[in-house]
Amino acid sequence: LLNGTRRSSSVQRTKVLFLGLRRSGKTSIQSVLFKDMPPKQTFYIETTMRITKYPIDTVVPLELWDTPGNATPESIGIPIGQFRSLIFVIDIRDLYNQPITKLVDFVTAAYQSNPDINIEVFVHKSEKLQEDDKIENFRQIQERVTDRLLDLAPEYEGVQPNFYLTSVYDHSLHEAFSRVLHKLIDSLPYLEDMLNVFCANSQSPKAFLFDTKSRLYVATDASPVDSATHNLCCDYLEMLTSFGTLYKSASASPPRHIQPTGPNAPSSSSANGTSSTSSPTASTDALPQRSRKPNKEMFYPSAATSLHPATPGTTLTYHAITSSLALLALVPTAVYEGRRGLLEYNVVFFREGVQEICDVEKETREGG
Amino acid sequence: MKKKVLLMGASGSGKTSMRSLIFSNNPASLTSRLGATIDVEQNHVRFLGDLILNLWDCGGQDSFMDSYLTTQRPTIFQQVGVMIYVFDIESREPGKDMEYYRDCLDGLRYYSPDAAIFLLLHKMDLVRDPQQALEKRRQELEEVSGDATISVFGTTIFDQTLYKAWSSIVHTLIPNAGILSKHLSIFAQACGATEVILFERTTFLVVATSSSGSGVASSAVPTYTKDGADHQLEPTRYERTSELIKAFKYTCSRVREEFHTLELDLHEFSAILDELTKNTYVLVILHDPTIETAAVKLNIRLARNKFETLQADSLV
Ligand SMILES: Nc1nc2c(ncn2[C@@H]2O[C@H](COP(=O)(O)OP(=O)(O)OP(=O)(O)O)[C@@H](O)[C@H]2O)c(=O)[nH]1
Ligand SMILES: Nc1nc2c(ncn2[C@@H]2O[C@H](COP(=O)(O)OP(=O)(O)O)[C@@H](O)[C@H]2O)c(=O)[nH]1
Ligand SMILES: [Mg+2]
Repeated sequence: LLNGTRRSSSVQRTKVLFLGLRRSGKTSIQSVLFKDMPPKQTFYIETTMRITKYPIDTVVPLELWDTPGNATPESIGIPIGQFRSLIFVIDIRDLYNQPITKLVDFVTAAYQSNPDINIEVFVHKSEKLQEDDKIENFRQIQERVTDRLLDLAPEYEGVQPNFYLTSVYDHSLHEAFSRVLHKLIDSLPYLEDMLNVFCANSQSPKAFLFDTKSRLYVATDASPVDSATHNLCCDYLEMLTSFGTLYKSASASPPRHIQPTGPNAPSSSSANGTSSTSSPTASTDALPQRSRKPNKEMFYPSAATSLHPATPGTTLTYHAITSSLALLALVPTAVYEGRRGLLEYNVVFFREGVQEICDVEKETREGG
Repeated sequence: MKKKVLLMGASGSGKTSMRSLIFSNNPASLTSRLGATIDVEQNHVRFLGDLILNLWDCGGQDSFMDSYLTTQRPTIFQQVGVMIYVFDIESREPGKDMEYYRDCLDGLRYYSPDAAIFLLLHKMDLVRDPQQALEKRRQELEEVSGDATISVFGTTIFDQTLYKAWSSIVHTLIPNAGILSKHLSIFAQACGATEVILFERTTFLVVATSSSGSGVASSAVPTYTKDGADHQLEPTRYERTSELIKAFKYTCSRVREEFHTLELDLHEFSAILDELTKNTYVLVILHDPTIETAAVKLNIRLARNKFETLQADSLV
C-alpha cells in the first residue's frame, strides 16, 4: 500500500501527526496557521481530549491529526507509518525527559514500516526566553533527542529529526511549517526551477511562491532564505489581504477588469484642471461575460511597493498566480520601473508553468 | 505655528505608549518596556511642515499631578491648544481619576479657555463589552465636564481606534483643513477616483479626505463617483489604513528599508499610495476599471506644487 493513504474522500490527503505533551501548543499552532486565530486568542483554547482530524487545503491536501497529551502509538488508531510527517511540539522551557521519551516511542513505532517518515521537532513558545537562554535550551533539546535516538539502535542513524524554534507570536511558526510542507510537495523541484528561472530573468535576488490564505511559502528560489526577508513578505501579504477588504464597495458595483470598454478616459489634467471626459458607465451586462471567460484570460490581481525613495532601491511585487497562490518577489526598482513589460512577461510565463503543475497534481490526486 | 498639546491622566493609563505608537512608529508589543514618565517630558514634533506640535507628556503619579495643580499650575495650563486626558478603562481608582480630571478642567478653564478637550477611554481591549463600557463612562464624563465641550473616544493601542482618535485630535489643530478637502475632491474628480485621502507623512494620521468637507468626521457617508456609481465603503477604512500602513512601515524599518509607495490592482478596486507633498501621502481609490493607474500617478506628480501651497494655506 503506497503511502498508506486510504480513499475515504474524493481526494487523497497527506497525513501529518501532531504530538507533544499537554499544553505544549499543538492546537494553538494549527489554529493560528489555518484558522486565522489571533495569537493572543490561543490562551482560551481548551485542552484537546480526543484525536481530531482537520482537512486542510493548501498546495497539497493535508489532513492534520491533533492529539491529546497522553496519546501513545497504540491509541492513534492507525499505524504510525501511514503519516508522512510527525510534528513533535516541545515547550522550550521543558528540558525534562518526558517529551523525549514520548518522541522516541513514536519514532520507533513509525520507523519499521516507514523509514522515510519526516520527524519534525518544534521547540515552541520560543518568544518566552531571552536570546541566550533560547539558543542554549534549543541546543540542549536537540542534543538529547539525537542522543536518545542513537542509543536505540544503529539503524536509527538514518532518522534525522529536523529542529525548529517556533512561536505563535512571530513568523517563525510560518517559516517552520513552510519547511515541513516542502517535503510533502512532490512537484517541489519543478516549482523551484521555475522560481530560479524567474529570478535570473528578472534580476530578482529573492522570490517566494506563497499560499495566500495560510501565508506559508510553497517554494522559493535557490538563494538562501533569510528570516527578515521572509517576515517582510509575510507582513506584506497580510497587509494586502486586509487592504483588499477595506475599499471594497459594498453596494453592488460591477466587477472590475471584465473588459475595458471604450477608450481610456483618464486625463493627464492636473488637480486644478477640468475634470476628464466622463468615462462610460460601467455596465452590469458585462457580468455574464465574465463567468464565460476561459481560465487563461482571467484577471490576476497584482501589487507593488517600493521600499526606498531613491533609485537603486528595491520593489516588492505581488502577482496572483492561481486562486490560492501568489508570487512575491524582490526586484530592483530600476527593473520594475524601466522594464515592466519584461517583468510582466516573466510572470505570465511563470504562471502558466505553475498552473500546469497544479493541474497535473490535482489530476493525480483525484484519479487515485 | 506652534501648538501645545497636553497629555494628562493617571500613571499607567497609557499616555507614553500611545505617543510612541503615533509619533515614533513603535509597535504595541514594545510598550510594556516603558518606564513611568518622570515629571513632564516635552517633545516637539513637526506635523505638516509649518505646524509644530509641542507635546507635554505629563507623568501621572500622584506627586506629579499634585504639583501640576499647584506650583506648576500656570506653566502647565497656559497656552494649551489641546488637552488629551487619558483614562484607563480598567482603572482601580476611577473616583480619583475623575477628581484629578475635574481639577485639570478648572486649570484649563482659567488659563486656556479655548483649548479643545479630548477624553480617551483607553485599554478598551481589556473590557468584554466595549460599547457598553464606553457609553456608561461617556455619560459620567459629560456630567462632570459641565458646559465644556468634550470629545470622547474609546481607544486601545492594539487596533485602529487609536488612529481614529488622534486623527480627530490633529484635525482640530489644522485651521483650514476644509481647503484641503475641497481640493482633494476636485483632484478626485480629475482622476476619476472614488475617493482621495491625505495622510500626514510620519504619523499616517488622516489630514483630509475628498469625501466630506469636514474631513475625518463623517467617514460613514457613502461616496459618489462622477459616473454616478454609489460606493458604500467600510466606515472604519481611514483609521484602519493608518494602522495598516504604520504596521508595514515598521516591518520595513526592521529590514532597514523605508516604505515609499504602494500600488494595488485588485478585483474590486485599484489604489495608489504615493507622496504628495514633502509632508503628506495621498491615497487614491479607483473603482472605475477603465482608469489607468499610470495616469493617476502622473496626476499626482502634476498636483504636487499646487498642494504644497494649499497645505501651507491650510495652516493660517
Ligand atoms: N491592554 C492594554 N495595555 C496598554 C494599552 N496602552 C498601554 N498599555 C500598557 O500600559 C502600561 C503603561 O503605559 P504608559 O504609556 O507607560 O503609561 P503612562 O500613562 O505614560 O504612565 P506615566 O508615565 O506613569 O504617567 C504599559 O505596560 C503599556 O504596555 C492598551 O491600549 N491596552
Ligand atoms: N507564550 C506562548 N504561549 C503559547 C504559544 N503557543 C501556544 N501557547 C499557549 O500554550 C497553551 C496551550 O496551548 P494548546 O494549543 O492548548 O496546547 P495543546 O494541549 O498542545 O494543544 C495556551 O495557553 C496557549 O496560549 C507560544 O508560541 N508562545
Ligand atoms: Mg508615561
